[in-house]
Amino acid sequence: MSNAHSHAAHTTGEHNPHLAHHFDTMGQQAGAAKLGMWLFLATELLMFSGLFLAYFVIRGFYPDMVLGAHEYLSKTAGGINTCVLLFSSYTMAMAVRSAQVGRPNNQEDAARIKKYLILTLLCAGIFLVVKYFEYSAKFEHGMLPGKFYTAHLHGYDIEGLPHIFFGVYFFMTGLHGFHVVIGMAIMVWIYLRASRGEFSEQNYAAVENAGLYWHLVDLIWIFLFPLLYLVK
Amino acid sequence: MSDKVFLNGKVVEHPHEIHHHVSPVRHYQVVLGALFVLTGLTYAVSFASLGPASLPVAMLVATIKASLVVGYFMHLKYDDRYNLFVFLGTLIFIGIFFGFTLFDLESRDALNDDQRTFTRVEEDFNNTGVKPAVGISNDPQRLAEFEAKHGGEHGAGHGAEAGAGGEAGHGGAEH
Repeated sequence: MSNAHSHAAHTTGEHNPHLAHHFDTMGQQAGAAKLGMWLFLATELLMFSGLFLAYFVIRGFYPDMVLGAHEYLSKTAGGINTCVLLFSSYTMAMAVRSAQVGRPNNQEDAARIKKYLILTLLCAGIFLVVKYFEYSAKFEHGMLPGKFYTAHLHGYDIEGLPHIFFGVYFFMTGLHGFHVVIGMAIMVWIYLRASRGEFSEQNYAAVENAGLYWHLVDLIWIFLFPLLYLVK
Repeated sequence: MSDKVFLNGKVVEHPHEIHHHVSPVRHYQVVLGALFVLTGLTYAVSFASLGPASLPVAMLVATIKASLVVGYFMHLKYDDRYNLFVFLGTLIFIGIFFGFTLFDLESRDALNDDQRTFTRVEEDFNNTGVKPAVGISNDPQRLAEFEAKHGGEHGAGHGAEAGAGGEAGHGGAEH
């Protein structure tokens, strides 16, 4: 398959069963769906930007505390999760591609979409399992936000106001983790629809939009990882 | 289709066809490889002590990674330009959000000192006996608290108290 623009059939006589009555063409329908998705992603980015700004403000106020507290996050766990998420972005892109080139009512092509969705789901699961171990370690050591912070009672002496850092850490990664869970639910839904043979080159906007959502989850982690785990 | 679609004064051929762009699998593999390499790079760089340069370097690498994801995985490179417009518009608004907030935080202390934000009311009361014009004097309860704290009456001897009272009074306003 080359880098060509394929012009999927829009011939006036033949009606695509996936075309809703209020759209003229599939191109218009898919374009509208995608624009809507991008507008939604814009609101997501704006929401996360508030948390990123909170991080930068706290870092600006208490640079030494942030640098001291971030040493207690596991770089290895964060790194593994980054790779897992990047790989899942690849498998999701491949799922979308499989739908783009899938022949209608073709079991084999539908199976390919499903295979990549399963791989993506698997990666999302691994991400959450790693996150679970990270969180339980933080809970165990009392490295918790605000008034729940008890790390000093567990023998961890972090200077400054680390309960604020862990507030930001849990809020950012928690909201991100919530998005991972939602993304998994969406993928299950897309999987079920793929099983019904709904997706092919004639109709793949839903797979594509699910993909866009999943890539956004990856995108946010790309910034979360260096800021929370790595940066000095 | 009887009605024609025009773009920049020219007739667009087949305007309503689906122009989906299918990237070759190799593209995705190369992008994935580049993302892994860049992740390794940030990871390695975090152990080197770059001092103040480490944040800009990490952000630069993250931005390159994000561009790869947005451009290739999210297809913005080949997509309808309007979607790119929505995305970049979002980034501009995030920039405004960050810019104004951080600018405010940078300049706030100097401004507070310059305008005596936290000290003006008490200093004026202690020096001249002038009650605060707005805020406190409009609220009987707050005015009573204020006067109780400063002894209600004023005159000689308050100059010495002013320093101590002032410090204690707005210690909480500092970070």
